[in-house]
Amino acid sequence: MSKKKNSSVARHKTAQGILSYFIMIAGACMVIFPILWMAITAVKDDAEIYQMNGAILPQAPVATSFIRIWRDYDFIRYFGNSLIVTLIAVLVALVASALTGYGATRFNFRGKKTFLSFILMTQMFPSIMLLVPYYKILSIYGLGNSLPGLCVVYISFTIPFCSWMMVGYYRTIPVDLDEQAAIDGASRIQTFLKITLPLVRPGLVSSAIYAFITCWNEYMFAAILLTNDKLKTAAVAIAEMNGYYRIAWNDMMAASLVASVPLIVAFIFMQKSFISGLTAGAVK
Amino acid sequence: MTNKTKNRFNMTPYLFIAPVFILLAALVVYPICYALYLSVLDTNLTTRWDFVGLKNYISIFKNGNMVKSLLTTFEFTVVVVAGHLVLGTVLALAMNKKRPGVSAFRTILIIPWLLPDVVVALLYKWIFNANYGVFNTILLRFGIIQKNQAWLSTSMAFIILAVVCIWKGYALIMVNIMAGLQSVPEDIYEAADLDGANKWQTFFKITVPTIKPVIATAVILDTVWWFKHYTIIKLLTDGGPGNTTSTVSISIQKEAFTYHNYGTAAAGAGIVFIVCWLISKIMRRIMDSNE
Repeated sequence: MSKKKNSSVARHKTAQGILSYFIMIAGACMVIFPILWMAITAVKDDAEIYQMNGAILPQAPVATSFIRIWRDYDFIRYFGNSLIVTLIAVLVALVASALTGYGATRFNFRGKKTFLSFILMTQMFPSIMLLVPYYKILSIYGLGNSLPGLCVVYISFTIPFCSWMMVGYYRTIPVDLDEQAAIDGASRIQTFLKITLPLVRPGLVSSAIYAFITCWNEYMFAAILLTNDKLKTAAVAIAEMNGYYRIAWNDMMAASLVASVPLIVAFIFMQKSFISGLTAGAVK
Repeated sequence: MTNKTKNRFNMTPYLFIAPVFILLAALVVYPICYALYLSVLDTNLTTRWDFVGLKNYISIFKNGNMVKSLLTTFEFTVVVVAGHLVLGTVLALAMNKKRPGVSAFRTILIIPWLLPDVVVALLYKWIFNANYGVFNTILLRFGIIQKNQAWLSTSMAFIILAVVCIWKGYALIMVNIMAGLQSVPEDIYEAADLDGANKWQTFFKITVPTIKPVIATAVILDTVWWFKHYTIIKLLTDGGPGNTTSTVSISIQKEAFTYHNYGTAAAGAGIVFIVCWLISKIMRRIMDSNE
């Protein structure tokens, strides 16, 4: 009797396992096929791209598109622009939010609650709401149509969520450590730099990746605020390849791949701390 | 006495939070105030700065286009977030048990969320291309259609757009549900099993209530996020065909940078903010009251 029950439970478990794998494989196909199509397109030559209902697999794979995006389109400059703006926005946000995380969790001060809900509020403003005012404000201060101007805009959205993440992270570090350091004669700034900062490193990493992805992928502000051709970011340059009369889909897909791969590689290396950071705010 | 006063007016915490406070005041609060100021003007941002009071707000509600695009946005957001929730839950449940290969699947399944919006939009624009798109090629091969379709210019555009946005964004919900599932203690399941609860009962009576706070936060963020979404819609359909996929972000952008009605655009953005704020309040209320 009990043996029979056990075997039915086991069969049930196997069925569940098969179903789980089926769902995971279906999900993975849903992700991989479109991306594979991006790669297949990027190695096709021009004639093959414009073949109505032609072969799905490339007949003679070529690397011309990958050469052309550097030679004919100046993507070195566009990726450079993206990288500079993104790195500065990420660095500023990290420094400021680490200080805030420390300040908001190690002290009791007047206005602390208001300050924390202020940070949360600033995350809620739809970016479209900032678009029109920034368009004018940046030119008032001489930052119109410039990379520093775009950087300012990006800082306005990296700061709120990095601060929020860092406050969450500092909460998980016991305050006793600070008190111990104070007894040992360390100053506040020493405690901040030497004791707590190393402990919140996973939080810094996940904030940095999140901020990096957001800025690297941003399109609306970059497309509207910058009109100078030399200042285009990678996202805008790729999107503009869509505007030509005869769209070079293979070049566009090659550029898309090059713009996406760094993010995926960075993610694979740091996914553990990234996922824990993404969900840190949710699971308490 | 002096010691006490010193404690009371400790400057140190304010120094720590000063950079964020100053940057947010200058880079978020100031532009928002400027937007509110623009919203009561009739302006082209250079020569014309006429005060018109609430006229911009009134004209938004009188003009059917903006109201229509608000409705389109609601419809779009509901479909996309529901899609994220279903797909995210199913995938998270499938990956919940420790089985060989699960971490590899998890990595693959997060990829769409990492891809730039621009890349996702253009990739699907290419897949659904009328003449050379692979979607047409495959359907033709299987004999489902007889000749090429211009998918993004038909009434299918809205559905295709929604599917693309579901594909792009389900991972955030999935990751959060996975984290939530891991926080459910194993012994609750064992207890339920002993009491003779079946799979569905266990799922809806135990799993869902336990992970609800996690899902609630993720769903609210996701809703606000997709309500204001711009890039994929702009590049995939640009609001077309007609106005069928014109969401508020697209309408506001066109109002400002195509028609140069900056005041009306600022007023429209203000309304979007109020709507986002209301959505998050209402959703929070509903989810808390069910507890």
